[in-house]
Amino acid sequence: MRKHPTKTVPLIAAGIVAMVALSGCSAGGSIEPAANAKQLTGGTVSYGHQQEPACVFGGWIEQAYLSYQVLDNLVSLDKDHNIVPWLAETWQASDDQLSWTFTLKEGVSFTDGTPVNAEVIAYNFDYWAAGGNSTAAVWLGGYYESAEAVDDLTVKVNLAKPYPLFAENLTQSYFGVQSQQALETRTDEENCAAPIGSGAFTVGEWNRGENIILHRNDDYTSPPANAKHDGPAYVEEVDWKFISDATTRVSALRAGEADAIYDVPAIEWKGVGEQGYEQLKYVTPGRPQQISFNTAKGIFTDENLRKAFVYSLDRKSIVDTIGKGVIPYEGNGAVSQTTPGYSEKAADAYSFDLEKANELLDAAGWTERDDDGYRVKDGKTLDVQFPYSGGTIINADGASILQGVQQQAKAAGFKVNLIPIPPSAAASGKYSGVDGYDISVGYWTSVNAGIQYINWRQNLPESPNNWNSAFYNDPELEDLIVRANSAIDLDEQNALYAEAQEYIADRALSVGLYDRLSTLAVNPSLKGVWQESSQGGPVFHDAYFVG
Amino acid sequence: MTDLRQQAVATAPVRRHVSAGFVASAITLGLFVVAAVAPNALTPHDPFAMDFTQALQSPSLVHWFGTDESGRDLFSRVIYGTRESLAIGAGAAGLAILVALVLGSVAALAGRIPAGIVNRVIEVLFAFPTLLLALLLVSILGSSPLTLVIAVGLGSAPGYARMVRGQVLSSKNSGYVEAARALGHSRSTILRQHILPNALRPLIAIFTMGVGQSIVWASGMAFIGLGVAPPSPEWGALLDAGRAYITQASWLTVLPGFVIVVLALAATTLGKHIQSFLEKGEKA
Repeated sequence: MRKHPTKTVPLIAAGIVAMVALSGCSAGGSIEPAANAKQLTGGTVSYGHQQEPACVFGGWIEQAYLSYQVLDNLVSLDKDHNIVPWLAETWQASDDQLSWTFTLKEGVSFTDGTPVNAEVIAYNFDYWAAGGNSTAAVWLGGYYESAEAVDDLTVKVNLAKPYPLFAENLTQSYFGVQSQQALETRTDEENCAAPIGSGAFTVGEWNRGENIILHRNDDYTSPPANAKHDGPAYVEEVDWKFISDATTRVSALRAGEADAIYDVPAIEWKGVGEQGYEQLKYVTPGRPQQISFNTAKGIFTDENLRKAFVYSLDRKSIVDTIGKGVIPYEGNGAVSQTTPGYSEKAADAYSFDLEKANELLDAAGWTERDDDGYRVKDGKTLDVQFPYSGGTIINADGASILQGVQQQAKAAGFKVNLIPIPPSAAASGKYSGVDGYDISVGYWTSVNAGIQYINWRQNLPESPNNWNSAFYNDPELEDLIVRANSAIDLDEQNALYAEAQEYIADRALSVGLYDRLSTLAVNPSLKGVWQESSQGGPVFHDAYFVG
Repeated sequence: MTDLRQQAVATAPVRRHVSAGFVASAITLGLFVVAAVAPNALTPHDPFAMDFTQALQSPSLVHWFGTDESGRDLFSRVIYGTRESLAIGAGAAGLAILVALVLGSVAALAGRIPAGIVNRVIEVLFAFPTLLLALLLVSILGSSPLTLVIAVGLGSAPGYARMVRGQVLSSKNSGYVEAARALGHSRSTILRQHILPNALRPLIAIFTMGVGQSIVWASGMAFIGLGVAPPSPEWGALLDAGRAYITQASWLTVLPGFVIVVLALAATTLGKHIQSFLEKGEKA
């Protein structure tokens, strides 16, 4: 018989070598370009992004990041949260706030040669409102009535209710303007894969599962007022690669295979900075990564159980440990701390108090515990179904934070069943209905606290709202948010938005975990990359290489 | 690989030589069994207890395998994960053998048409990528240990089915079966007493090796996110969780990976020794 000599020793050796080698990965020499390095012309930016959407243009933030490169909006948001011109040079609300008039730049064309004019803009409004962009549609829903071309360069938008934040909302890339001719004459598949806009780049090849090549629009004339230069992009191409694994993205950056990467894991943040890579970090306004309780079915219909769950969590410790000081803790479940009208009172409504959690659970009759320490009532365990979209909505850091939640809630007697759901299951809606979960987790980026209208408007047969993840139908809360949306005085508006956040916190309908971040790490030989301020996506129009 | 020569069940005594490899692999597997049955006997730490002050500690005398991002003791997690990992491995290998037995026996013993159909089924299953099958099952059933057992079990069954078919065919055409027929034994007696015992004996070795291979497969699937739900310390899930920290805390990936390799090696070595032992018995 053939002998099988033991392979243990070489394996142990290989393991040690691997550990040492991998540990050494964080070290590295200087990557700074020479002091006399000059701006180069052309070149291809190799950019590693986390997720690949199904279409370039759509209602998901990953699509917004891409479509920002290809489509122009009417207006842009600068870093001081001011609305600045883009395709529109000026805009004005009527005295009754029921109509908005936009005056367009002259001489702007789409990359198919057709002009950007008022008729096209009106067509795009109808297209968005009809669901051409799912997120644009929910922003416009309840407010948008019609759009009309007043003359070639003037478009008037009519609203059903006053909406002072209307123009601000249009800065999001869900409102990217497309060629009417392209929308009318090309197939949906063509417009999905390569929408025609007037932006700094056009979509070249899309190698599904690998990358999208964006070509420079050499005739680009319409950068937003907050761009760093006029005219076409400096670089010729952007190779937008899809690298889902965070470690691989960082490795690609360090190996020089990527000039810039998105979503740097918290544990790599410090090391990447020490190695000389430029770091950009943007806390997205809007709804943070939060947990919503299912208030329509299951144990969390009981407000005291919701509160008990929240009191059982030391959310800040979890986030600070896993997030390594990079990911900000967020107590507010309605909006993040970078959102205008943010309520600190709502954010501070609950702190870790295990004793209080236990008292509430005892009072609710959950007095017994099984051998594992989970509470039991009438023979039923205090189960909590907690599905989450791992890898898409929740990244690796987020998944670790959720495990912290699971472990801490156990001390109070909750048996939290974390269910990582693949994209296919998420898309099927299996976990999104009232029977799908006890707790849901997720974010919704926005430029203002008006996001509460989307997340908390009632879900009624005559006006469905599938984005009310707490299934909390409350006319009082909706009225509060609607009044805020229409308040013309900014202070009054912010006060009403804050009141809505406190209303949500008081009833423990939703509580925050951490703020959603957009992070970038950029090789110092690539300059001029910046993050746009509505959603934190990378902007490559001003990027250039030095050498 | 498998020797298809079959003879009557040996009865003569044979002198056995117990090799060091056999002893080492048996002891190693024995330790894993202890870890699966009584994990608390091997580690004092709670595998689920988080201690944020101890997050990402490298291996030390207190934490032999270091700690993870939440301060959980990795050695304890590996030890406590043994039960689930072994159960998935043994379950998948068992399911594979069971499916293979049915398909392989029918393919060998049934009439021309049903055998032909089953052979085509085996070929189709062979051509179907295991990973794709796993994705399909996860989409339908959701991620769970049972899904992993089914996915890995069904994925590896066709290979075993071909093996079983060959063994049964070989037994069916052997001299001792002819002799049994000549003696007037019924078909069912021949099948039960002569064909199946001889055909299935090599599967003991195959099963042992299959456990190790199935654990590697299941871990691979868990690594790509198709595994069990957190905070399970199943080994593949540990690999998956450690992946995000591989450059800063490589022990989170390397050490569970190393344990998987050790188990797979031990199971394979033991299986080969059993196989060799059985072959010698047949030749004696």
